[in-house]
Amino acid sequence: MSQIELDVRNLKVSFSTPQGNFLAVNGINFQLHSGETLALVGESGCGKTVSALSILRLLPEPPAKITSGEIIFAGRDLLSLNAKQLREIRGNKIAMIFQDPMTSLNPVLTVGEQLIETLLRHKSLNKKEVLKISAQLLGKVELPSPEDKLKQYPHQLSGGMRQRVMIAMALACEPKILIADEPTTALDVLIQAQILELLENLKKETGMSMLLITHDLGVVTEIAERVMVMYAGEGVETGATKDLLDSPHHPYTKGLISSRPHLGSTREKGQRLTEISGSVPTPHQRPTGCAFHPRCDWSTEQCKTKKPLLQNTNQNRQFSCHLQPESI
Amino acid sequence: MTDKHSFLEVKDLKKYFPSRNTIVGSNTTPVRAVDGISFKLKEGETLGLVGESGCGKSTAARTLLRLESPTSGSVHFKGKNLASLSEIELRNLRKEMQMIFQDPFSSINPRRKIGDVLREPFAIHGFKENVSEAAIGLLEQVGLSSDYVNRYSHEMSGGQLQRVGIARAIALNPSLVVADEPVSALDVSIQAQIINLMMDLREKLEIAFLFISHDMSIVEYFCDRVAVMYLGKIVEIASIEEIYKRPGHPYTEALINAVPGMESGQKKQKLKVRGDIPDPSNPPQGCSFHTRCPLKEKQCEEMEPTLKEIAPDHYVACFLKEK
Repeated sequence: MSQIELDVRNLKVSFSTPQGNFLAVNGINFQLHSGETLALVGESGCGKTVSALSILRLLPEPPAKITSGEIIFAGRDLLSLNAKQLREIRGNKIAMIFQDPMTSLNPVLTVGEQLIETLLRHKSLNKKEVLKISAQLLGKVELPSPEDKLKQYPHQLSGGMRQRVMIAMALACEPKILIADEPTTALDVLIQAQILELLENLKKETGMSMLLITHDLGVVTEIAERVMVMYAGEGVETGATKDLLDSPHHPYTKGLISSRPHLGSTREKGQRLTEISGSVPTPHQRPTGCAFHPRCDWSTEQCKTKKPLLQNTNQNRQFSCHLQPESI
Repeated sequence: MTDKHSFLEVKDLKKYFPSRNTIVGSNTTPVRAVDGISFKLKEGETLGLVGESGCGKSTAARTLLRLESPTSGSVHFKGKNLASLSEIELRNLRKEMQMIFQDPFSSINPRRKIGDVLREPFAIHGFKENVSEAAIGLLEQVGLSSDYVNRYSHEMSGGQLQRVGIARAIALNPSLVVADEPVSALDVSIQAQIINLMMDLREKLEIAFLFISHDMSIVEYFCDRVAVMYLGKIVEIASIEEIYKRPGHPYTEALINAVPGMESGQKKQKLKVRGDIPDPSNPPQGCSFHTRCPLKEKQCEEMEPTLKEIAPDHYVACFLKEK
């Protein structure tokens, strides 16, 4: 087993709202190994983005509050660091890219000005060297004519190009970990394919680990080695991508896989898609017992009252369900 | 009875928008959002309209319904030319042509109760009797309980609200529904519910659909035929069976290949497309796809290919297929 780069243990994040406090993330555990891509998958409101933002302590506190847990990176608990120590890690050792490259780039600064900010902050380089490195970075993310791009503003670039700029910024300090929050969701399919390929190549080249946040199981298959499926603030199933998609152990994972039309699958005329009934519970009204039980086709009496514990089938596979995987 | 073939016929439809950054007096070229598209739709048939953002698929749909007035070209619906109709005649015909929008939160008035939203189509068209019962009936048809009539949109989830959007569209028993990315704003587990609902209603009410989407896997599932648009033009049109087995245009092939795969086992030689969709106000010479096409040849840069039939009812605009 390769080295553990990031270890998240029993992370709980609560938000205080006028309607009361609720747990957006309710005790999740995962490890990110060096050089691997781990995907956190789930629907809106499942807590995947909150988990990712907690790692770099980017959540606004308050209303957010990390109530318990540890996030171990390079031998230290990120949750115990002060603001100055955190700044040494953000953008330097752990970098992040976001869903919408238009809102995460500053519209009144040129691409170059934004790129050098990270480098100047973390490296002792003069401006000339920094500009040279910036152009190289833009070349690395396969942007045509990088020198010209440095002088352009975000609005002069297309969505795909902006996301490439974001990736270049994230990679500027050669981070150990890249957190990618829905990096291709705002992009067209053809551009999505290009960006995924780029991320894959860069990961191979630099040996960094990647934490990918997505709602799209298709994207997961393309680039992630392992997956954690999240539902209502909890990790419900974790495993190697292929293994997990081929034989889902949790009813929710199974539902997610089969509710998506498969390309090229032979269909009967008028055949319906398998759907998951109901809708995602709001964080204020999480069901008792197993949070998925009102939508689950296999739910029993004990699912309504008793929270299932995380079961290990073998070393790399975990799931939380009262039922045995053979029975679903 | 209308002839099945003349249910909807779009001929050389064009919609140009004036370029925004015009300096007074200067001669700038307009944005050719829809640049001469033609297709037919049979009664009860579903045609998918696919392409990347900015290819003109939504403008095409809006122009077709006369939500935008066309620059040129004609749309015949049940034998009537929509362009020649008066306001009143058009309004009467609108009962038969409805639309479902992408984002239910912005297409349903947040200040009105769901019941009012559903009564509105009847009010517009002068129906006065049993309207409240009809609204409840509509809710039941889309799988919502009758007490939703007193709710507001913010009290509902995206999936529930999209059901209301669908209920509103089928209120007046239309024979054509244009659905503009009806599931792309929804969560994965809800998408399947909405697709299933539309399939059920399509069968029950015999509705023809124009289904706009960028998701090739949903289009394959939901549609009978598909038209692929690129920079305002249709570059390929064929049946689902035909187009997914034998895509004729390199762009279509790239779109199908780009669907991130659950089927990673059978990853074929992928056709790779570089770069972005060009600026529609300044489209490339020749074949508009040549700037990104991995298979382009000399003539693609100079001449523009037109749609040719390469197999029965399979039309492609590509020189490579003409050989």
